[in-house]
Parts: sequence; C-alpha cells; structure tokens
Amino acid sequence: MKVRILRQQTPFSEPYWEVFDADVSGDTSVAGLLNYLNYHDDIVDENGRQTTRIGWECSCLQGMCGSCAMVINDVPRLACDTFVRDLGNEISIRPLQKFPVIHDLLTDRSSIYENLKKQNVYIEKYQPDTIKNRKKAEKEHQHQYDAAKCLKCGLCLEVCPNYVNGQSFFGAVFANDCYLVSSRNSEKKAEIKKLYGEHFGSTCSKSLSCMDVCPMNIPTIASMAKLNK
Amino acid sequence: MRDAIVIGSGISGMVTAIKLAEAGVHVLLASPFPSERSQSVMAAGGINAVMSRHEEGDSVSAHIEDTLKGGCYLAGEEAVKGLCESAEEIIEYLEGIGVVFSVDEAGRPARRAVGGHSYRRTCYCGSSTGKQIVSALVMEARRLEAAGLIKRALGKCFHSALIKDGVCYGALFFDEAFGNISAEYTDVVVVATGGQNALFGKTTGSTQCDGYTAGELFMQGVELKNLEFVQFHPTTIETSQKRMLVSEAARGEGGRLFYMDNGERVYFMEEKYGPKGNLMPRDIVSREIYSAGKDVFLDVSFLKDSDIESRLPEVRDLCKKYIGIDIAKEPIPVAPSVHFFMGGIAVHKNHETNIRDLFAVGECASMYHGANRLGGNSLLAAVHSGMIAAREIAGRDTKEDRPDFSSAAEEANRMLDKMKDTKSVFPVMYIRDMASETMNKSMGIIRSEESINEGIKDIDYYLSVAERLSYDNSVLPYFNYSLTGILTLARAALSCAESRKESRGAHYRSDHPDTLDDYAAATVISYENGQYKVRFDKENEYES
Ligand SMILES: Cc1cc2nc3c(=O)[nH]c(=O)nc-3n(C[C@H](O)[C@H](O)[C@H](O)COP(=O)(O)OP(=O)(O)OC[C@H]3O[C@@H](n4cnc5c(N)ncnc54)[C@H](O)[C@@H]3O)c2cc1C
Ligand code: SF4
Ligand code: FES
Repeated sequence: MKVRILRQQTPFSEPYWEVFDADVSGDTSVAGLLNYLNYHDDIVDENGRQTTRIGWECSCLQGMCGSCAMVINDVPRLACDTFVRDLGNEISIRPLQKFPVIHDLLTDRSSIYENLKKQNVYIEKYQPDTIKNRKKAEKEHQHQYDAAKCLKCGLCLEVCPNYVNGQSFFGAVFANDCYLVSSRNSEKKAEIKKLYGEHFGSTCSKSLSCMDVCPMNIPTIASMAKLNK
Repeated sequence: MRDAIVIGSGISGMVTAIKLAEAGVHVLLASPFPSERSQSVMAAGGINAVMSRHEEGDSVSAHIEDTLKGGCYLAGEEAVKGLCESAEEIIEYLEGIGVVFSVDEAGRPARRAVGGHSYRRTCYCGSSTGKQIVSALVMEARRLEAAGLIKRALGKCFHSALIKDGVCYGALFFDEAFGNISAEYTDVVVVATGGQNALFGKTTGSTQCDGYTAGELFMQGVELKNLEFVQFHPTTIETSQKRMLVSEAARGEGGRLFYMDNGERVYFMEEKYGPKGNLMPRDIVSREIYSAGKDVFLDVSFLKDSDIESRLPEVRDLCKKYIGIDIAKEPIPVAPSVHFFMGGIAVHKNHETNIRDLFAVGECASMYHGANRLGGNSLLAAVHSGMIAAREIAGRDTKEDRPDFSSAAEEANRMLDKMKDTKSVFPVMYIRDMASETMNKSMGIIRSEESINEGIKDIDYYLSVAERLSYDNSVLPYFNYSLTGILTLARAALSCAESRKESRGAHYRSDHPDTLDDYAAATVISYENGQYKVRFDKENEYES
C-alpha cells in the first residue's frame, strides 16, 4: 500500500508530501503503521531515498489519551484506534489543521486548555442539586461520566465549521466541560451557562460533525440541551 | 515555603501540585505533555478504601494486612498503615472535587471485589477510574492555575537535578519549543514521573513512562529500591503497537486458561490448583503460563452472549477491535506482560529521597507495595503520596541562598550541541529495543543467576555503545540524551535481581525458589564511581 504523509520539519518551515510503501496486515493500526515506517528498517520514501523519521505523538496506544489525533484519509481520527483494514490501499495522513504544527504530525493544542482556564471552567466543589437525595441527583450520572471522559484530543475542533484557533468560539470540547461543571456544582450553573452561550451556544450552527468524530462518543447534543435550558 | 517544582503531571504530580498550591506554595508543574496523556488515565479497575460503610467484617486493619501480605511483608508497616488509614479521606476528597464515581443505592461510591483483597473495598468509576480521577484533578489544578499558584510548563522534559552537597536546588529541563536546556531554581523538587515501562519495551502502560528520571537521579547519587520487583499481568493480548490488558474480570466471570496438547485442551491452572485455579494471584498465573511453554488461551466463549454483553463489554470490544477475535465464539490468545513497578526511587516516610529537598511520589517512588502490589492500591498510593509530600514540603523553610548553577546548564547545552555535531543514522530506538529484549529475557517472569548475568553483560555493552553513539537527529534530543539514564536503570535493576538470591512475590529465581528470612528486607542500590552497590535495608532506614 501507498502511504502519503504531510510533513513539516519545524513550526516555520513549509509542509510537503512524502510517499512511502508499506506492507502491513489489516489489523495494524495507523500507530502501528507509523512505527513500522519509522523502525522496521532504514526509513526510505517510495523511490528508495533516505529520509527522516516521521514525528508523531503517542502515550497509551489504545484510544485512551488523545495524543495521536491526526487526519487520516481526510477524517480526523486517533491513529492508534484506526485500522489499515478500513482504509483501502492508499492512505493519506496529515496533521490537524486547526492547530499550529510543531513537527510533522505533532501539533500544539494548548489553546484547548487556555480557553478553559481563561473562562474558569472548573467544578471547585461537588454540590449535587439535592444534597438530601443524592440518588436523585445522580440521575445524570451516565452523562456526567461520559463528559468526563473527554480526551481533549481536539478532533471535534478539527472537524467543526465554526472553530478557528485563537477566536472566541471554543467548540464541543468546551461545551462538554461546561456541562460537567454546571451539573456537578449547582452553584455555578448560572455563570457557566452564560459562558457557554458566549463561547459556544450563540455560534454553533449544529452541524454536529463533532459528535461523528468524537472517539469517546460524548453526547455533545445532550450537553447542549442541558445548557440551553 | 515559597516555591516548588513538580515533574510529571499524572495523578500523583497533580495531587502534589494542588495540595502545595492550596498551602500557598507557587508550583511549576512540568511535563512534556498535558495530564490527559499520562498513564494515570489508563487505570481501569479502581481505588481501594475501607469506608465507614464497609462490607461486613472488613476493617482498615484488614486492608493493612492484605497489603502487607500481598507485598510479602517487605513494605514498611508504618507507611502501609498511613496509606490505608487515609483511604476514606482520599475518596471523600476525590468525590468532593467532582470525580464521577459509580454509586450504590444511597448515591455513595460503590465497591467491587478485586483479587488479593479479603473484602469488597475497591471504589471505581465504571471502567475508567483513572481517567475520571484525572479529569477532576485537571479541573482542580485549573482553578489554582487561574489563581496564579500553579503554572503548567508543557513541552518540558527532565534533564537532571541541580544538587550540591546533598541538597537539591532545582532541575535542568530540555524545552521542546526552544530546543535547548535551561535551569529552573526552586526550594523543593518533587519527581512524579511514573513507572519504568521503557526498560521492557511493549507493556500494558504508556510509552511516556521510560524510567529515565529514576536512572539519571541514580547517577546523581539518589538511592533506588526494590528494582527486582516487576509485576507481570498474566492475561494480555499482543497487538501491532503494544500489549493490552485483558481485565481480570474475564477470569472472575469464569474464564478458563488452557493450552493445546495433542489436539486436546489442557486446563493447566485447574489441574494444578483446583476449580478456582484460574483466579490465583497474578504472579502465580503468570509463572504458570510462562512455564507451560506453549501458546495459552483464555476461553469465555461458553458464557451466555447476554452475560458477555453485560459483564465483559470492554474485553469483547478490545479483542474485536485489536485482534479481530469474537470472544463469544473463539478463545483469546494471551500471554503475561510487564504491568507495574513496585520498585523505584527510595523515599523516607515523608517521601523525601536521600537528597534533601528532593521528593518522589506515585509509581516512580517505591514505598507501599513491597514485593507485589494489590490491584487498586497504586491509585491510592499515587494520591496519598502526593498529599504526604505536600504536607511535609509546605511546612519547610524557604531557601535563603541558592548556589549558582548557570555553568551546569551551559555544560548540558554544550554536551547536547556536541552530540548534535556527530550525526548518525543508527537510531537510539534500536538500542532501546535491544535493551528491552535483553530485559525481557534476563529479568522476565522466571530469572536465574545465568539469565541475569547474561543481561548484565549485554546492558554493560549497550552502555559502552551509548557513550560512543553519534546523535540520532531523527528523534527528539530527549531520546538521545535519555538513553544512558535508561540503560543505567536497567543495569541497576539487574544488580538488584542478582543480589536477591531467593524468590519472593514478583521476583522468582529458578535457582533459588524458596523465600528466605535472610532477605526479608528491601533492596537498596546506590551508584558510586560507576559501581552498583546493593544492600538490604535491615535497619529499616527507609521506614522512617
Ligand atoms: C492498563 C493499566 C491499568 C491500571 N489499572 C489500575 C487500577 O485499576 N488501579 C490502580 O490502583 N492502579 C492501576 N494501574 C496503575 C496506575 O495507573 C499507576 O500506578 C498510576 O496511575 C501512576 O500515577 P503517577 O502519577 O505516578 O504516574 P503517571 O500517571 O504515569 O504520570 C507520569 C507523568 O510523568 C511525566 N514524565 C515522564 N517522564 C518525564 C520526564 N522525563 N520529564 C518530565 N515529565 C515526565 C509524564 O508525562 C506524566 O505526566 C494501572 C496501570 C495500567 C498501565
Ligand atoms: S469532545 Fe470528543 S472529540 Fe472533542 S476533545 Fe473531547 S474526546 Fe476529543
Ligand atoms: S496514543 Fe493514546 S489515544 Fe492514541
């Protein structure tokens, strides 16, 4: 199979495509494929020319940490959780475009954290609606659990037609953290709803493509429904 | 105390930073990647605590006893007591900051049973306990970041500590954005860099846990402890990228281990240990699988589809996705894999190392687990150790004088530049791969004088090569300069394994299969002029 990879040596240099030949089984993930290209032998392009190893980021290698987010065959996905068997004979891989590239497939996603920090999106103290009846207050348990699984991978921002890095619309990742805070601390509900409106609710055009790509299947639409109430 | 540096932002690093910041200390929380990428997010099973609403018959002293027994009585009694006694408070703290625990009918954290515990005392958050704890801690840290007390420094990799006359004054970091090494001065440094996975290559954990920090600190005079105790998880699957854990729940639900002999299934665990044989402790099952010398399978296909669906959905999804196996129809090919490190940086009860003002917490420190760790105790230890260290540090005085270490940073940059001047196509990752192959062979599930000595010979050779190796410009500079530290740690682990001429917990020697009273003490190793010096801590130096 042919693997096309969009490469970039430094944050300031020009990106360029490089094509590799690979022979791996269908059960190999794209993470496994990148490892294969980097280390099965000297790394050469399709014409046998020596090149540099491909930079990318990983940690858990099983879809639990969000490190390896990239765009594979034009879909934003996690490399360790995407398999060659589903990709056909030509695979294209490029870095997320909504974030500054550091090197090859590595991007700087710090804006995700900065936005949450600047808007003070934190729980502070777990205060269920009805302390007397914690059981009742737990009826949103599954939704809270799902929201807290967010990897901060940024895939939802990559696919979103409204998200532009550095601007005031912060995307699904922000909406879900807002939901978690408002549902775990009833005292912060009003404040968080306002922030949510400013940085998400008022701009979201409901394409909901964010939900299609979310590797954790977080029900962003349910978070929106709660916060729009 | 004015300021502190915490290196590593998994659960233990975040707890330390949060507790220090709450006491008014300014914290620099340094790590290459955000907390969401740390190994802590992978913990699934749960976190132990005997709560006031405990199971009938359970008690904190039973938790203490189970922990000490699990660790083959090598862990300090006082330390374990402190750990188990603080567990309830820890769960309350975590719940208070918003961790989404799975709850019982009363809306309180529910408990599940985990191997090695005599009672049901493991609190959990569905199947992602670590992730849920990390998410809540990230929010707490964010609160203190917004208050200006915690400063997160991403892209920073530890290089070395700034130590003078047995006191630590800060650390050097390689900064990925600037491509150079710079010094950060402080009153106290806390290391929270996790386990030593890289020594063994593919493990169940994160690629970020490479053990470099422990190895480098060791070369700088910090003592390490119990490095021979490495926990293998018996049931993992091999994938193209790593080894993945098949949860103990699969055996808990009745899963049976077997191998094929002349076309017949041999249920070797049941044959040897009776009907409950598949549920024996992790180290015993791992050893039996290894000794079988054949491909071993775990079968759950006889369970009803609806039971698989409701009780083992994660195992089903994992096998389907990564190895294309339908566990309702076929057995799962399994093998043991390295999973957890009981050994690490030697610390006193307050989590300070033998260097003043240098602390270690979480999995990189060795304290509570002795010769083997019980499931659910390491998340507890990660939180507890952070709290203990922070309490100790907050009460310390601010440093009046700080020596000038500017020449240390210059020297480190000069060395890095010198390395960069000698380009090579020989990748450092090959040496790391070869070293991990050596470690798997020589320090695997069953060891012997012979296997360990072969390992020592190989690692010594790689160390000599590493020093002469030219720079590999295809990977980050961190991978180049960290090689020697990682190999030195591997060498130290082999020395510990060589010295312990007995079998205990996770350390099994085929040439010394019995447990001996002579070795009923922790192994402590130090590095002096290139020599690896092992002693057994019979005086309980590290218990105070
Ligand atoms: C699959 C799996 C399941 C598990 N399940 C459970 C469970 O159910 N219950 C339980 O109690 N335990 C469990 N554990 C163990 C537990 O998860 C860990 O022991 C614990 O999370 C360790 O936390 P930590 O904060 O010490 O380290 P980590 O979470 O590993 O964090 C280490 C930090 O150090 C940083 N770092 C590493 N090297 C450097 C460097 N050179 N410079 C700067 N920073 C560095 C990393 O980036 C990271 O931020 C499990 C482990 C695995 C692998
Ligand atoms: S909401 Fe989903 S896609 Fe977006 S950052 Fe979180 S996990 Fe990733
Ligand atoms: S490496 Fe963790 S999600 Fe891919």
